[in-house]
Amino acid sequence: MGRGYNTIAFDAARCDGCGDCMTACAGAKTGTQDKTRSRIQIVGDASGGFELALCRQCGDPKCVTVCPAGALTKDGASGVIDWNAAKCVDCLLCTVGCAYAGIALDAGSGHVAKCDMCYESPAGSPACVPACPHGALTYITTSRIYNEVGDWEDLFAPGLAGCQGCNTELLMRHTLRRVGPDTVLATPPGCVPGMGSVGFNGTTGTKIPVFHPLLTNTAAMLAGIKRQYKRVGREVLALAIAGDGGASDVGFQSLSGAAERNEQILFMVVDNEGYMNTGMQRSSCTPYGAWTSTTPVGKGSGGMPSQGKTQDAKNLPLIMVNHRCEYVATASTAYMEDLYDKLDKAIEASKRGFAYLHVYSPCTTGWRFPTDQNMEVARKAVETNFVMLWDYTPGAGLRFTRPVDQPLPVTEYLKAMGRFRHLSPDQISHIQAKVVENLAFVKQMVHRASAPGGET
Amino acid sequence: MNTAALDVPDQAGPAKQKVILCEGNEAAALAVALARPDMVAVYPITPQSSLVEHVAKLIADGRMDADIVDAEGEHSVLSVLQGGALAGARTYTATCGPGLAFMFEPYFRTSGMRLPIVMSIVTRDGITPQSVWGGHQDAMTVREVGWVQLYCETVQEVLDTTVMAFKIAEHHDVMLPVNVCLDGNYLSYGTSRVELPDQAEVDAFLGVKNVNWHVALDPLRPMAVDPLTGGSGGKGPATFVRYRKGQCRGMQNSLRVIEEVHEEWAQRFGRRFAPLVEEYRLDGADYAIMTLGSMSGAAKDAIDEARDAGKRVGLIKLKTFSPFPVEALLKSLAKIQALGVVDRSVGFRWNCGPMYQETMGALYRLGRHVPSMSFIGGLAGADITVGHFHRVIEATEKLLSGPAPTEPVWLNERD
Repeated sequence: MGRGYNTIAFDAARCDGCGDCMTACAGAKTGTQDKTRSRIQIVGDASGGFELALCRQCGDPKCVTVCPAGALTKDGASGVIDWNAAKCVDCLLCTVGCAYAGIALDAGSGHVAKCDMCYESPAGSPACVPACPHGALTYITTSRIYNEVGDWEDLFAPGLAGCQGCNTELLMRHTLRRVGPDTVLATPPGCVPGMGSVGFNGTTGTKIPVFHPLLTNTAAMLAGIKRQYKRVGREVLALAIAGDGGASDVGFQSLSGAAERNEQILFMVVDNEGYMNTGMQRSSCTPYGAWTSTTPVGKGSGGMPSQGKTQDAKNLPLIMVNHRCEYVATASTAYMEDLYDKLDKAIEASKRGFAYLHVYSPCTTGWRFPTDQNMEVARKAVETNFVMLWDYTPGAGLRFTRPVDQPLPVTEYLKAMGRFRHLSPDQISHIQAKVVENLAFVKQMVHRASAPGGET
Repeated sequence: MNTAALDVPDQAGPAKQKVILCEGNEAAALAVALARPDMVAVYPITPQSSLVEHVAKLIADGRMDADIVDAEGEHSVLSVLQGGALAGARTYTATCGPGLAFMFEPYFRTSGMRLPIVMSIVTRDGITPQSVWGGHQDAMTVREVGWVQLYCETVQEVLDTTVMAFKIAEHHDVMLPVNVCLDGNYLSYGTSRVELPDQAEVDAFLGVKNVNWHVALDPLRPMAVDPLTGGSGGKGPATFVRYRKGQCRGMQNSLRVIEEVHEEWAQRFGRRFAPLVEEYRLDGADYAIMTLGSMSGAAKDAIDEARDAGKRVGLIKLKTFSPFPVEALLKSLAKIQALGVVDRSVGFRWNCGPMYQETMGALYRLGRHVPSMSFIGGLAGADITVGHFHRVIEATEKLLSGPAPTEPVWLNERD
């Protein structure tokens, strides 16, 4: 398995083209103030904004491929593409090979020059980043999870029957990597087994013990499994990866019962806000106004048009908080580090009692958005406070893990998908008001949890 | 709990046994303790409640070492046990009536997964009309989903059969769940003298359990349990058929195993019960009545009186109702010229009792016309008395010379 590396991230919205980053780079690399010699170049784009010309330190670098002299090499430890002056023949083929204008002729030296992320500087980090007065540049670790878990065994079968653009494969592979082989996995009817986790006609889709519970009895079956292994002194994790419909509707009784008995289970709900595997029908987790195949849009009768679901979503994770589980958290695949932190805590909590992890999971097919937009939709849900990322323990109470202080208007989320395209202004107002109300409600719980004496 | 135990002097049986006085629900609980399950899951429902209360007390008192799960409903009760069995546990529960109905979804699945779970059905009539009293409607309603179902006549038979059920269920040629059916009210609360087998003898009788050799959720033996099977293409149809045929084979194998286990029980403990079909004074009979469960005691008294009065009548009693013991039953049916079948439940489709309906299928295989009729009695806690059975005997006797009625006779209609 390869490695991922640190990178310089650019937020075009914050850039005003001042060029301070270029001045800093030129100073660090050439000892001059000559911006034209900077390895980072800010250039105006056609719409009046700015773009970045900078080496991406590609994983499959074309500059290295085209170099006839072997002067460019990718360093395995840092990920940086190094330029070797002693080997370079100044042919400039590399500048033609790069699609990002990341390597260019430095007229001052007569050779090509490119960003090396200042990895050999005393600071070990790029000089340009702190020079930006607007925070448009950040030096980020993008691949911490990949570098950590990339070598762990993938316990989910290669190839699957999920919809194109579904993020549940991502969730499955990461979750199973993290929990490891001493696990029994329950995947009740829905998208997770639908994509082949339990397999078909005598074959399996998973390298660990896996089964279909009924839609209704996931938590109860896992309780029996876990208890028996506990009885014989074996450490086995009992894990559910379940859909929102089964958990919040027909399977809620067994879920609630297992939580009340504090069974030692890790119960993960993949909330795509409906019965997506069976054809996108409404569940109690479907949000207000959403089109589903059982809350369709039509002209109705008596002047009362049918405009999607007429009730608000059931807030299942908050209901689980009221079971005083060992751990309850909401998560999103758009925030994987947050998700991993919660997964770690949930695994530990499940050794003491019931742990519940609620993952908001956009559905490209059922929510009607392009298949390359899953992460964007997931991120917008959080950025608008349509969903909130928090966790709860009986000791520390409820706290936000990624508070959004300046939320985007909810329309930024709603317009990203087709299931809301019919909404009337009144419906949008209702949803925005609910977002505000839900935030206030959760904040109140946070406030109570952090007040002296804990919850009152 | 009545624990007044007596040492029985000069006991004739092969193993020394305590004698106690207890009700059927307590006898079932004591049998469960003797079988040493790893896990029991419980949810109370009349008239089963005192059974699970006894189980809970046995565990609380340290007389039984099992993990008890007080689940939030019967659906989860059976689901917890499915999980336990897949992880290797010997498992037990009890239910009845509406509880069994609520449990139906996992109930259907238990036999398909070949999990040897033992479950008492303290039989109760179906609602509506609202009722909390005994009747076979609950167990009869689920007779077609692949559980072995054994009906008991006495409290002693409840105890003995409950222990035997584990051995039958876990037999590698069977691997099916078993219901031990004891009549609500009449056996659940009926108190009688019971011989309590010795624990060491029961341990030797049951042997070492191995309940998940064929299907397991175990990280040491990773497998997919119950992947999506069937459909119209590929190996789907054949795979599905293989599973279903396996279930049917297990059911048929159980007929032999039930007989073997009853025989071993008789050898070890000195009590012999007809495993499939019991004949009572059938030799020399021209006609017979047929019964199931606790009603058989009153039926036998009536047969004795009728015989004393010169009537040539005998009794056929079923113990094993599922699988339906066709071959064994045919041997008994071959001896008679007319048959009256008494059911404690209703078959709505055929307007007769369910056991009568099933028996008609066996009669067809006999290859000879035997006039027969259906009697329905004992619904919702009603008693079926010796007097009722005399009416049954008289009506059945008339079949020898007259036409058979197509309507059932409702025994308690004017009680």
